[in-house]
Amino acid sequence: MSADPNTRRPKPSRMVRIADHMKREWQLYAMLLPTIIWLLVFLYKPMYGLQIAFKDYSVFRGVAGSPWVGFEHFDTLFNNDQFLRALKNTIIMSLYGLLFGFPVPIFLALMFNEVLNQTFKKSAQTIVYLPHFISSVIIAGIVITSFSPSAGIVNTILGWFGVDSIYFLTKPEWFRPIFIGTGIWQEAGFQSIVYLAAIAGVSPTLYESAVVDGASRWQMMWKITIPSIMATIIIMLIIRIGNILEISFEMIILLYQPATYETADVVNTFIYRQGLQGGQYDFAAAAGLFNAIVAFVLVMTANTISKRYSRTSLW
Amino acid sequence: MSGVNLQSLVKAYGPLQVVHGIDLDVQEKEFVVLVGPSGCGKSTTLRMIAGLEEITDGELTIDGRIVNRVAPKDRDVAMVFQNYALYPHLNVADNIAFGLKIRKESKEVIASSVQEVGEILGLTPYLERRPADLSGGQRQRVAMGRAIVRRPKVFLFDEPLSNLDAKLRTQMRAEIKRLHKRLGVTSIYVTHDQVEAMTLADRIVVMNDGRIEQMGTPMELFLNPVNTFVAGFLGSPPMNMVSAHVETGANGPIAKFGENQLQLAQIPSLQSAVGTEVTLGIRPEFVTVSRAADEGAIPVDVDLIETLGSEALIHGHLQAEPFVIRTETLGQMDILDGISGFKIAPDLIRVFDAKTGLALPGQVTKQ
Repeated sequence: MSADPNTRRPKPSRMVRIADHMKREWQLYAMLLPTIIWLLVFLYKPMYGLQIAFKDYSVFRGVAGSPWVGFEHFDTLFNNDQFLRALKNTIIMSLYGLLFGFPVPIFLALMFNEVLNQTFKKSAQTIVYLPHFISSVIIAGIVITSFSPSAGIVNTILGWFGVDSIYFLTKPEWFRPIFIGTGIWQEAGFQSIVYLAAIAGVSPTLYESAVVDGASRWQMMWKITIPSIMATIIIMLIIRIGNILEISFEMIILLYQPATYETADVVNTFIYRQGLQGGQYDFAAAAGLFNAIVAFVLVMTANTISKRYSRTSLW
Repeated sequence: MSGVNLQSLVKAYGPLQVVHGIDLDVQEKEFVVLVGPSGCGKSTTLRMIAGLEEITDGELTIDGRIVNRVAPKDRDVAMVFQNYALYPHLNVADNIAFGLKIRKESKEVIASSVQEVGEILGLTPYLERRPADLSGGQRQRVAMGRAIVRRPKVFLFDEPLSNLDAKLRTQMRAEIKRLHKRLGVTSIYVTHDQVEAMTLADRIVVMNDGRIEQMGTPMELFLNPVNTFVAGFLGSPPMNMVSAHVETGANGPIAKFGENQLQLAQIPSLQSAVGTEVTLGIRPEFVTVSRAADEGAIPVDVDLIETLGSEALIHGHLQAEPFVIRTETLGQMDILDGISGFKIAPDLIRVFDAKTGLALPGQVTKQ
């Protein structure tokens, strides 16, 4: 008996369609699996432990067995001068990093794009990428040596001009510039790759058309290159804003000392000292959770603003 | 006089020469089309005129001034690119105004020029839109608008219709022709599409392997190609090529191939070609279809008939080589029944030397 041709087959449910898709494209899902496992193990499973921010945690009683204390740790946190100082330092250093560090890779990429001599271009690129591949410990060593009051190159040069030696790394007012400068030196070159890739995607005929129209190289950079990579710049800015409280923790740990805590201590170093060194895991978890919530709000805000005004967004 | 003159223009990339000394004189207000297969050097020649490629040797004159060493912006040319080259971040008005802004024209001049160009090209409703929000044809118009807004002495078009579909291409082709008539600006247009070349050009320049094969009006090239390359390149479908041997017949020279023979025109070069091998060039449009009983018809093994509405293409084989006949049907399909061959007048056959591929001298096919 043949089916009535006028009878339509019911549309399969969403779950059935997803299952069908997974069956059909199983190779793609198989490739996705390691990343999903990584996310679950290292980012989602630890979220279970976040509850200790609301508990009086004891390693002997475990996460589940520790009693709830509500927002007590957050109260303590916001009444803790050291935390407030760390929060202030984090925000200041992040803003400085954003202000001075964010444009440098863009500037570098634009400059590389203008270099016509390929040999010079490749050599310069290699030189600026290199610090990214050097361990933070070695970078810190270079910084400490460079700013050493006795044999450091900076003080040696200052000495040529009759300036007395300065022990930069013990002076709170010098910590931020040194830290920001080191970060730029270490990462700007490598970060410029993203912008160089975006520039490579700009159609050469746009430049040719502009050349025929009479545009100079400077005008082409301002009127074609920068607007063409603006979407990439905005995406990178959103990501950067999301990480505003995630300041380079290792570098600070390696460079700071009690004499510079006043300007150098940030939320992450505070968490490290309280949580790991002081054994106050619950208190440190509260600080970490606060950090994450602020980052989440910042990313959401930046994304919404960008979507509204530039039609570019992460999602 | 805003003409363009190319004298022995050469382009080489290191030891590799891609344009081998081109001579071309484009008159003021003329529409010249450079046509040829991919890699023949037509775009390179255009880019040398625009100043986007350095000239290796030779002399380029625009408006009576040698411009070999003149920057593109100072040559007073405007170029329309194959992929439109529109700035995606700018709206239509800003795209059109780009060249004027770069030249620091006043805001009033820019606004009125953009408005005028918008009206000429029918872009006024789209001036605030970005290129991504336009159709292919509209984008092409914007690209042309950007070129004409500067009122240059010379327009350069680099395959501007290649990215459009067939219908839009036909439409835009007509628009470009109308625009040229209206503005009267000297134009050089590059394409690999011989239909575009035939329909747009005042004069066509056929290029091959970095050299000019032939230049002339579309009909000159269509009727009297100087060699088998031009003969095969222009025309759709292309000219049929038949290998033959020239002999003396009762009424002058004849071309023999297999069991068949065709009467050739009685001109000295063909008479003196008796005994030589030649290639006969037979345009699909120039033959008269015949049926089995027709006397003197050349038989063709017909294997396919394509009907195009008012005409039909009859595909078959002659001497094992593909052979196409184009015939009018005016919708009466019974005309196609029983076709088995063709006839052709002697003066419509183009005879080429089989070895050199060059047309034998003295042959003139009239319109």
